[in-house]
Amino acid sequence: MSQILRREAIYALTGLVTVLMLLEYFFWPTAQPWAETIRTWAIIVFNISLGLGAIRLLMQQSMNVQKRRENWQYSAMLLSLFVVMLLTGFAGYFATGLQTSNGIYNWLFINIYTPLGATLYPITGFYIFSAAYRAFRARNVDAALMLIAGCFVMLKNAPVGEAIWIGFATIGNWFQFTGQIPGMRTFSIVGALGLIAYGFRALMGKERGFYAGGE
Amino acid sequence: MSVLSKLANVDSRVFYWILFIALMVPFLSPIGFPITIAENTRELYEGITEDEVNEGDVWIMNFGYGVSAWPECHPSVTVCTKALFREGAKIIFMGPHYDVELTYNKIHDTVREDFANKVYGEDYVFLGYITGGESAIAQLASNIRSVYPTDHFGTPLDQIPMMQGVNTHEDIAGVLSSDTGDYGVHFMTQWQAAYGSKLAEIGIAMNGSTDLPRWQAGNYFGLSIGSRGGAELEILIGELGEATTAMDSISVSHLLLIFAVILGNIGMVVQRRSS
Repeated sequence: MSQILRREAIYALTGLVTVLMLLEYFFWPTAQPWAETIRTWAIIVFNISLGLGAIRLLMQQSMNVQKRRENWQYSAMLLSLFVVMLLTGFAGYFATGLQTSNGIYNWLFINIYTPLGATLYPITGFYIFSAAYRAFRARNVDAALMLIAGCFVMLKNAPVGEAIWIGFATIGNWFQFTGQIPGMRTFSIVGALGLIAYGFRALMGKERGFYAGGE
Repeated sequence: MSVLSKLANVDSRVFYWILFIALMVPFLSPIGFPITIAENTRELYEGITEDEVNEGDVWIMNFGYGVSAWPECHPSVTVCTKALFREGAKIIFMGPHYDVELTYNKIHDTVREDFANKVYGEDYVFLGYITGGESAIAQLASNIRSVYPTDHFGTPLDQIPMMQGVNTHEDIAGVLSSDTGDYGVHFMTQWQAAYGSKLAEIGIAMNGSTDLPRWQAGNYFGLSIGSRGGAELEILIGELGEATTAMDSISVSHLLLIFAVILGNIGMVVQRRSS
């Protein structure tokens, strides 16, 4: 297929799907069966991409190990754990007939993955603490204002703030509802308008990356 | 170099130890600072209790968070599950996070007494993992069976008593989406905005600033933010749990954070003056 034909085909397909989805969502509910079919295809493609992602990951990490690239040991660990989880998953399935609920697979998940996962997130608290000390410096008036507002919002969120002085909650709420929420609304609206503009540009063929992988 | 100017360059490890020790204290000896209820949390609780829920209503509980976000999301999800069960509602558990099964097992632990009186397939059902992003959420609104032909354990939905006649957004009384990312927004665009479905969000504290405008605008009928939201819900239902315990640690850590910021700034000012 020539480059032009390939591009035209993607234009046509994208345009068709977009128009159908827009019509179904806003004006023409009876088009639902067609929209449903397309959404089912989208879900199938999404699932296939998960498998492709896994294959791509394995290829990349295998290459790291093969060529002894920097930190290749982590790649080796990833590959071995991938194999362990895959084999235990299959072994548990053939032994018990259960998929992810089987005991062998679950044991690994509950005793290794769960504690690691639960630990990973709270550890960031230590980094935030250290980073706050190093980075939150009132180097100019703007930074000072941001710091003061941040401290009031923190004292509003933590029960100790109100225990010290009820005014912390009032001022923190004022900063949040008068300053932050209108700002977030603006971001949301501007983002949505930008997305619409991007959609139109993509449909008009002006977003080259969308059609030709950035060429 | 004076002592004050040294404050600008304290080693990180000192702070790690201070924080570690300070966080231990409230766990060993709880302080119990009073907690006030935010309006967004109160509206969430009121939206899933009393007149707002009819016996037999089917609700969706979306687990869009993994193990790492359990401390933030799970206390609120626990309270909401208890509240819905006690109102006689039926619950569909499902989720787009690969930890969905672990979270489902955990909810059985944290809501054990209520689950003891409920029957799988009649009062609740677990549909399991879902992939497909926003397309899948849109598809759920129009045809649940096309996304989930069977439940997590392989039973066809048509053979599950609770799922008889339940296949579109019209058959669902409300959605509670608990997530660390976009799934609340997916439900908002594909369910709440499209069909006016009742929707509430249980999110992490970091997403509070993006979720609050949606609650204010009425997209979410209620909103629980982080473990603070969980603690507020625990107070509302009258059963204190892990979120309330965590509140003392949050108080201590927040105070220390402010202390560290002040310390760093004093050091910076002194250093500037001396140079």
